[in-house]
Amino acid sequence: MAGAGNIQDIKKRVKSITGIEHITNAMKLVSVAKLRRARSTLDSTRELFNFVTESIEDIFHNADEIPTKYLLTDKDVKPSSPCYVIITSNRGLAGSFNANIIKQTEIEMREAAGKASIVAVGGKGRDYFKRRGYEIVAEHIRPPENISFVDTHEITRPIIELYDEGKVDEVVVVYTSFKSTIEQRVTSVRLLPIDIEPDPEVSVVDKYVEYDPSAAAVFNYLVPKYAEMMIYQAIVESATCEHAARHMAMDNATNNAQQMISDLNLFYNRARQDAITRQIIEVVSGAEALE
Amino acid sequence: MAKSFKLEIVTPESIFYKGDAELVIVRTMDGDEGFMAGHTWACKLLNIGEIWIQEAGQSDFKVAASAHGFVDVKNEVMVFVDAAEWPGDIDLSRAQNEKERAEAILNRREKAVDQTDEEYLKAKISLNKALNRMKVAKGGRRAKA
Repeated sequence: MAGAGNIQDIKKRVKSITGIEHITNAMKLVSVAKLRRARSTLDSTRELFNFVTESIEDIFHNADEIPTKYLLTDKDVKPSSPCYVIITSNRGLAGSFNANIIKQTEIEMREAAGKASIVAVGGKGRDYFKRRGYEIVAEHIRPPENISFVDTHEITRPIIELYDEGKVDEVVVVYTSFKSTIEQRVTSVRLLPIDIEPDPEVSVVDKYVEYDPSAAAVFNYLVPKYAEMMIYQAIVESATCEHAARHMAMDNATNNAQQMISDLNLFYNRARQDAITRQIIEVVSGAEALE
Repeated sequence: MAKSFKLEIVTPESIFYKGDAELVIVRTMDGDEGFMAGHTWACKLLNIGEIWIQEAGQSDFKVAASAHGFVDVKNEVMVFVDAAEWPGDIDLSRAQNEKERAEAILNRREKAVDQTDEEYLKAKISLNKALNRMKVAKGGRRAKA
């Protein structure tokens, strides 16, 4: 009978959707826990690095002895070989988290003239750009929450080397910055060359500053350190956003699954009721025929 | 009592120290250098060594082992180092192991192939770090015998 088959079908669908709902719900709970941990790392890193990056930025603004290779000298010259550090996640199921980063990177690449190279942090971004034949100079596909500051050194050093050799003339980091659990924004920051625009917020103090061993040595140390910290912060921030995005995506998925289950249950009950009614009619009409 | 200044020692993991100090001595590339309140602005690179802090109103020094970094002297002093440890937190057996491992490499290699010989340079740095840790654990260079 068609009705019975239908009932079986609905039962099967409810069962499989319930299974999916369990999974998405579990993933949601996991991402809540991971988000909490990532946030505390993010908060402490932000607090910590603010001191250092502010201090370094101050030094940049106050010095006129920075090696010129690290400085943006001519704003009108477009970089001919930009390098993009794109920070994505390793895993999917995080809504549009990775797609947003990729979209933004592509927009920037179109605007920039010249051949772009890519340093991929996170598997999703690497896969995408590799498939499209971009030059990937380095890839780092460890889970972002396991990347320590020391590992960032390994990520940053080759980039600085490329820049020093002149193979790359601009370094841009594209990552997702964390505003709140429900708002994340794709951000791109140019690491090198450093643009020391007279910043109205930073008062330039004309003070004599002692550099030891020499101004050049200090900046050759500080610039990579600065880049390292910015990249580390971007990775930590991106990891936080990934969990927040996944939490949102899984929350939606769980809600949708529950909605579908309740709809299907309604259909199921209706189909069951239909079947019962039909059986009663059969019994009654059979009994009537006997009379 | 000398004038005090705000001192912050930051490592990638934590804010290692934050407080008012009268004098801080760090190891620059040329050797130990002390900074007091009102010092000329400076920005100096730091070598592996000891950090000595004389807190406001104290006559004793606090000592810590530190790795490479830099010091930014303005009205406040900010020290950023890749790693820092109080003597009590130093794992002596680990330092000893590291010292032996680095020495083994150095003995085998005798001298660097060239300026970019990473294994050799790294071993040298980790030997320095281990020796520095062991020294600081025993109270540091200024320890009273």
